[in-house]
Amino acid sequence: MSDLSAIVSPPAAAAQPKRPLLQIQGLEAGYGDVQVLWGVDLEIPNGEITCIVGSNGAGKSTLLRTISGMVRASAGSIHFAGQDMTGAGPDRMLGAGIAHVPEGRRLFRGMSIRDNLLLGAYMRHDSRADIERDLEFVYGMFPILKQREKQDATTLSGGEQQMCAIGRGIMSRPQLLLVDELSLGLAPRAVELLGEALLEINRSGLTIVLVEQDVLTAFDLASRAYVIETGKVSLSGSTAELAADPRVRRAYMGM
Amino acid sequence: METYIQIIANGLMLGALYACIAVGFSLVWGVLNVINMLHGSFIVLGGYLAFFAWAQLGVSPFVMLFVVAAALFLLGFLIQYGAINRVVSKPVLLTLTLTFGLDLILYNFMNVVFEATPRRITLDLGSLGIGEVMLPYDRLLAMLLALAMTGILYWVLRSSRIGRAIVAVRMDRDAAALMGIRVNKVYAITFGISAMMAGACGALMAVVYPITTNTTGLLLGKAFTICVIGGLGSVPGALVGGLALGLIESFAGTWLGAQYAILIGSLLMLTLLMVRPTGLIGKRGYE
Ligand SMILES: Nc1ncnc2c1ncn2[C@@H]1O[C@H](COP(=O)(O)OP(=O)(O)O)[C@@H](O)[C@H]1O
Ligand SMILES: [Mg+2]
Repeated sequence: MSDLSAIVSPPAAAAQPKRPLLQIQGLEAGYGDVQVLWGVDLEIPNGEITCIVGSNGAGKSTLLRTISGMVRASAGSIHFAGQDMTGAGPDRMLGAGIAHVPEGRRLFRGMSIRDNLLLGAYMRHDSRADIERDLEFVYGMFPILKQREKQDATTLSGGEQQMCAIGRGIMSRPQLLLVDELSLGLAPRAVELLGEALLEINRSGLTIVLVEQDVLTAFDLASRAYVIETGKVSLSGSTAELAADPRVRRAYMGM
Repeated sequence: METYIQIIANGLMLGALYACIAVGFSLVWGVLNVINMLHGSFIVLGGYLAFFAWAQLGVSPFVMLFVVAAALFLLGFLIQYGAINRVVSKPVLLTLTLTFGLDLILYNFMNVVFEATPRRITLDLGSLGIGEVMLPYDRLLAMLLALAMTGILYWVLRSSRIGRAIVAVRMDRDAAALMGIRVNKVYAITFGISAMMAGACGALMAVVYPITTNTTGLLLGKAFTICVIGGLGSVPGALVGGLALGLIESFAGTWLGAQYAILIGSLLMLTLLMVRPTGLIGKRGYE
């Protein structure tokens, strides 16, 4: 595998190791008159994988969309890498280093895998050579994408599309990668491959927030977890702790 | 035999201009989901600007083309950014009404400033004669430039950074926003490109046909017809539709008389709508 540290920016919070990379306080958001988030508090430590679990409709995707600036917060604050980012739009959030791999992948139909990946680097003004090198990095991690480079991205299998979507997210050279529903609808083998890829990306220094309905997969990958219920954090802690918590086991792990 | 070749040559020269008219209209329709009622007036405005630059300052329309293109891009960009973006995600009837209203303003402005008198640029460059077939150089040049502009747009959409952004916004505006693409800006650039193509094409048309505000509706109708014939949402669709309409009008005009040319074009559009609603090259994506 090629040099991982080449693609991932050095952790910005390295100078202040105690500070979380992302800090969210009292976040409220929704769609028009429908409020979905009711005061979410969240701290994402630098360099770790944190997962957010919860049942369908709890507001996990809405939380990610608010972090990436797609949904505007009606109250509360978002601090990223020591900067107040509350109210910023998606271009500023991405510019600050937050990339969002959306639920359902949302690859661009009619465009090649390569063009989809290049769109991930849309905001960057680096040289062609830099961007080519990062493309090669993504291809190194997911060789199937290289083989199908010219093919319409939406003709890939679900797992391969997820690889492309993650690759597209990485192409922006983020500090924080938000992944919404990594495993939804995918074969177990694909989930395994993608999980390994996320771990490797994380080991190279990229902080990851993983939203999952499949709590077992999520706890396997993440070191910390938040449980969201009806737009609020109901539980949080290390995944080891939470995996042993009878409330979590009963509600989310079917035990 | 020569007469057929002449009819075909006339049709292709006309068709290239039609393609250039339609491609911008199709782009805005495909990417913004806006049926732009201003399109005909943009063409006529471009024609007038070229005419007055030629008549009063002696500037060649083939040079003025670039000035017109820049001016119309700016106008289109500002109209989209300042007005249409406010309602762009609303139902299509609302944006249609807005562009209709804006068109009334532009149309009447042109009537007041330029008057409706038909005006034509006469260059008298002579003709290229191949056997009995005559190809006037001014028309030939207009055709080549129209095809070149259409080709450049095709290349820009497929291979440039802004082109990728335009196609991405068309496919999925939320996903495009997640790439850091500023959707409203891309909309304004797209509308600007469309106005630019229309205006530049108007400048070329002024070399071939008389320009008058009376033709804004007719030109808009042609853009619409071509999009339906060729298939909405692609440059090749507009090109094929434009060339097809040019050829049809050329043949119908020769055999049945000029008054039937438009009728036949419209009948073809209706027929296609019934048998092949996606047009000759219906595309799912904008290419
Ligand atoms: N675009 C939208 N417009 C209106 N309501 C929405 C929209 N997206 C999600 N919702 C509502 O917000 C709530 C939370 O949805 P979501 O954040 O997608 O939950 P989760 O990702 O946890 O399944 C649900 O009740 C859903 O119906
Ligand atoms: Mg969700």
